Amino acid sequence: MGISLETKELALTGTENRSVDPAALVALFETHGERMKSIAMNLLGRRADAEDAVQEAFLRMYRGASRFRGGASLSTWAYRILVNACYDMLRRSKRRPENPLPDEAALPAGRPEDHALRLSIEKALSRLDERERTAFVLCEIEGLSHREAGEVLDVNENTSRTLLFRAKRRLQKDLRSAGAFLPAEAP
Amino acid sequence: MTASCRDLERALSGGDPALLAAFEEHATGCPACGRELSEWRRIGEVSRGLRRSWESPDLLPRIRQALAEESTGAAGVEPEPSGARSGLWRWLPPVSIAALFLIATAGLWVFRNSGGREPLSEHWKTTKAPILNDAAIEEVDKAEQAYLASIDKLSKLAAPALTGATSPVLVNYREKLTVLDAAIRELQASVDQNRGNTHLRRELLAVYQEKQRTLQSLMKEVKS
Repeated sequence: MGISLETKELALTGTENRSVDPAALVALFETHGERMKSIAMNLLGRRADAEDAVQEAFLRMYRGASRFRGGASLSTWAYRILVNACYDMLRRSKRRPENPLPDEAALPAGRPEDHALRLSIEKALSRLDERERTAFVLCEIEGLSHREAGEVLDVNENTSRTLLFRAKRRLQKDLRSAGAFLPAEAP
Repeated sequence: MTASCRDLERALSGGDPALLAAFEEHATGCPACGRELSEWRRIGEVSRGLRRSWESPDLLPRIRQALAEESTGAAGVEPEPSGARSGLWRWLPPVSIAALFLIATAGLWVFRNSGGREPLSEHWKTTKAPILNDAAIEEVDKAEQAYLASIDKLSKLAAPALTGATSPVLVNYREKLTVLDAAIRELQASVDQNRGNTHLRRELLAVYQEKQRTLQSLMKEVKS
């Protein structure tokens, strides 16, 4: 028995023990893989770790697809598993996320005048609490709504909003004390 | 609606668009709140540029392989009666995998240190040079291509037997091939960075040769 879900990109096989057609997960990777890599990179700080986390997330999805209830969208379910895989990696290595090295940053070319502030934000991000950092990565960097971020973090929209607010306030404080805002940015 | 400096936190928390609009109006005439708002927006603007993107051609094949292994591994697991996985039997799979890994590693070590039972090319018989010249690299590339073609052909023949294999012998072959594939990937990555390194090329060819022999041996096992 197959169930078609969200843009027909994943067909869960409805047996009790087996989970999902690997080919469907490959299709999921093609749709959401880039964003998953980006989320993992911003949570872990190293490209190789980010790729490992994405691979681990797909294995967990394969094993646990029978637990997908359809209440959340498929993408947020995938992101949630990914975020948990990232947390587990950080706990296993008992480290905080790294500031990506310049050659690992894999950032799109942005405005040159933003470069210094961007590096400062990256640095300050690694000092944030795990959930605040995740809320920031999901909402501010990846552009998810608070409803979607809430599904990933297993909290309601208001809590997601609060987490993001706290994250941004902490970042603002850190960046200001580091002198990261140019005088021109003040009115 | 009007807002004042005291509304800063509530306005920035984003839950009330009308309050935010009123606060923006207030900030136009209040330098301190204007600065807060400006910094707040800058963080949002610049953060959108933190979205990452890079090519990772190996990732999807890795995921496919991991899923295939998971799939075939899980397919081979049959429901067991309660208590069947008790005592020494419970340790059999991890112990056999560990033993297989040790045997494979030891085999590779012996093979490499013997220089290979089958000389791979005339060049390997004579060279002591740590760096290959262009002609030698071409020769080694050809040898590798020959092994890859043979391995590819054998892998296709072996795939049906390995997919969903449940017998201990076939499972052991599958594990050994996994170990060899990991060694090949690692060596290939090193070779890609230094194609003229004699030692690396010799090691890579040795592992190809070992994989070819393993596949040939597997096919004999399947036929018998």
